[in-house]
Amino acid sequence: MIENFLAGTATLFGDPFTIGIFVFGVLGGMLFGAIPGVSMLTLAAILLPFTADLSPAQGVMLFAVIYCTGTYGGAITAILFNIPGAPENAPTAFDGYPMTQKGMAGKAVGAAVLCSAIGGVASALVMMSATEPLAKWAIMNIGPPEIFALVFFGLAVASSVGGRTIWKGWLSVLLGLLIATIGQDPVGGINRFNFGYSDLAAGIAFVPAILGFFAVSEIFIQAEKNVSGKYTAPKFNVDFPSFFELWAHKIAVVRSIFVGFFCGILPGIGATLAAFMGYGEAVRWSKDKSEFGTGKLEGVISSETANNAATGAAMIPLLALGLPGGALTAMMVAVFQMHDLEPGPLVFYNSPDLIWVVFAAMFYANLSILFVGLIETKTILYLLKIPFQFLAPMILMLASIGAYISRGLVLDVVVMFLAGIIGFLLRRSGYSIPGIVLGLILGKIGEQNFAQGMQMVHYDLGTYFSRPICTILIIAGVLTLLKSLHSAFYQKPKVQ
Amino acid sequence: MKFNLKKQFSTLALVTGFAATASMSIAGECRVADASMDKPGGFPDRALTMIVPYGPGGGSGQIAAAMAEAVTELTGVGINRDHKPGGSGTVGMTAYMAAPTDGYNVLEHIDDASSAHALDSSRPNPAEDLIPLVISQVTFSQIYIRSNETRYTDWPSFVEWVQAQNGKATIANVSKEGSMERVIMKFITEASDMKIQQISFDKGAPRYGALLGGQVDALFEQPGDVRKFLDAGNFKPILTVFNERPGVFSNVPTHREMGMDFEPLLRFRGFYVHKDAPSDRVDWLKWAFQRAYCEDSYQTFNESKFMNVIDSYRDTAGAIDMINAAIIQYRDVYKEMGLDVK
Repeated sequence: MIENFLAGTATLFGDPFTIGIFVFGVLGGMLFGAIPGVSMLTLAAILLPFTADLSPAQGVMLFAVIYCTGTYGGAITAILFNIPGAPENAPTAFDGYPMTQKGMAGKAVGAAVLCSAIGGVASALVMMSATEPLAKWAIMNIGPPEIFALVFFGLAVASSVGGRTIWKGWLSVLLGLLIATIGQDPVGGINRFNFGYSDLAAGIAFVPAILGFFAVSEIFIQAEKNVSGKYTAPKFNVDFPSFFELWAHKIAVVRSIFVGFFCGILPGIGATLAAFMGYGEAVRWSKDKSEFGTGKLEGVISSETANNAATGAAMIPLLALGLPGGALTAMMVAVFQMHDLEPGPLVFYNSPDLIWVVFAAMFYANLSILFVGLIETKTILYLLKIPFQFLAPMILMLASIGAYISRGLVLDVVVMFLAGIIGFLLRRSGYSIPGIVLGLILGKIGEQNFAQGMQMVHYDLGTYFSRPICTILIIAGVLTLLKSLHSAFYQKPKVQ
Repeated sequence: MKFNLKKQFSTLALVTGFAATASMSIAGECRVADASMDKPGGFPDRALTMIVPYGPGGGSGQIAAAMAEAVTELTGVGINRDHKPGGSGTVGMTAYMAAPTDGYNVLEHIDDASSAHALDSSRPNPAEDLIPLVISQVTFSQIYIRSNETRYTDWPSFVEWVQAQNGKATIANVSKEGSMERVIMKFITEASDMKIQQISFDKGAPRYGALLGGQVDALFEQPGDVRKFLDAGNFKPILTVFNERPGVFSNVPTHREMGMDFEPLLRFRGFYVHKDAPSDRVDWLKWAFQRAYCEDSYQTFNESKFMNVIDSYRDTAGAIDMINAAIIQYRDVYKEMGLDVK
């Protein structure tokens, strides 16, 4: 393996043009990943035709690098402005933005940079050492019932985040689940709650909903404070977390690597579920769950480690089996095909050089997050010095563009503002915005896999319990729910 | 409820038969003589926009990219692809119908647009509300099993095994209401007297992974989409839903050979412009898209997707015939299935 890795490294850095492509991918991924709605997918789609003029290794490598750095890029705006660049950065905002409000933006961003790099590098190392056996294990053992059980477990674990009471946390999650049912049902294609409006057939898109619930509602809240004279600007701070602060969260990092990797390896799932599950596990193992959602460093660490740990893992089913885990890896298939190649078992025998250049590039791209990210962060934090009356319209404009540009539908801008208003009102009443977003995102994944799973077990729910992994996850979820219920009956409301 | 398939399709066979039995010898052949055409009134003097109602990574995204590249190679006119996924193509179609009809906007769509209109006539009819510029991919479906499968190895043994499972066998496909997949599976299960549970996966990767990993017993798909699994020896076809054996699948029996007497529904992908677009511009677009089909880059793409196995090309008239036939066929089938045809 080391020999192959060194050969891949030599190919990657042995040619100035290839180095240039690598650097472009690193910077482009970070930049586009940080722009809400635009995202790394937009960059990838723009670049796709041009990869025909590159060598196969350069083309696939470019997309792999964009995938790594783009997944990290959205964390910065999530932390500084409550604007997740992509759904996989949404859990980062849960605690990252409250940290900014407390004057700890430097710590949050620093942790995001470091943990994205750690998660990505660890994932790349595992990917390099065990792609084929891991892909085969995942494909043999994980089907729709297991993915549904995983989502159920994730919802049970993370549902209490951010609400003033556990009941309000749960109601928020249920609202998110309800919103997730808008649009065609995932297996039968039957329209639901679209009121004859065809644009709603696809349901509520993640990006405008997230922008509305997070960014727009935050603007409204800060504007209200501004009008009533209670507004205090976030304290400017570029202090990064100390070594000891990060070392104290070493278990959270390792746990998130495992969680992120596991989620990433599942075809069609990818980094979004990884980030939510990583965050949820941090909450579950915490002694004081109530601190999550209020600006806890561990929340940022868990989310960002997990989503980048999913990047290497998502390459495993792609390369070993030809099964892309998400939109960007699906575009990588197109890059392969442009060069008369097909990802899958044969690519390891037919094009080993290409594979190891890609592996090496992903390893170094994740390392680059550390160095480029730290430099970038030291400068981008100065945005916090912009006064609210100038910053708020800029954020609203950026969010509106982000909401519109992802699908080019005015509906998405309307959805964003509606979500902003609803989010504003619910937050004032102590309901949980993370809970709503959690329900929305996991609800769609969960419903689809539940329905597919029910078809597979011939609508006999008991058959779910004949599958060991599924059984363990469902029991763990039920126990978590019972514990949550127990706490709810004896919990005192948080004072805010 | 049993279908009277012979009766149902006897009147349609003349219309649709051409699609299924089109000469395979001319697949990929260029049928547009003019290598160039003057731009009418300077049109187009800027890039075209192609609305694609599916994501960039899937079959539609790939054909849109390949055709855009070929048109640009041929004419020098750029094409911006605007992906509007969702609602089985509904979102993209709605956006397209609301776009300016000046000829600068074109649409990629698949046979779903025809079946959607067949089910609900208020939805746009691709043969009347749109003008087909070209249909550039036509393909058939097959049923696949794992190559290392030991419980069954061919269609007869598969049917026997499925019948013995008493409805517990599973097949992965895209079985949304009224979809081509669901209709064909209905034909097959009725004709073979077997019950099989269809598991609906809307994305390819989980669908193929389900068969690879043994989560399902078989897969319904088109050959181009699973070519890498065929080349790698992971999957093997046991039934071709087509009226004759295509050359590369000469060892795979057709549904007719296996005693199933129905006209196969085909998957087709093509490009359209709004019916209200100026006629001279429509003529130029027809030439550009039909001639672009002949470009080496597009032919290479089609070949990589097994789209040269049968005749994948329909010009405007051929496309209209094909769409009309499909609409009639779907509508009759939907009525037989008891669906609410509007």
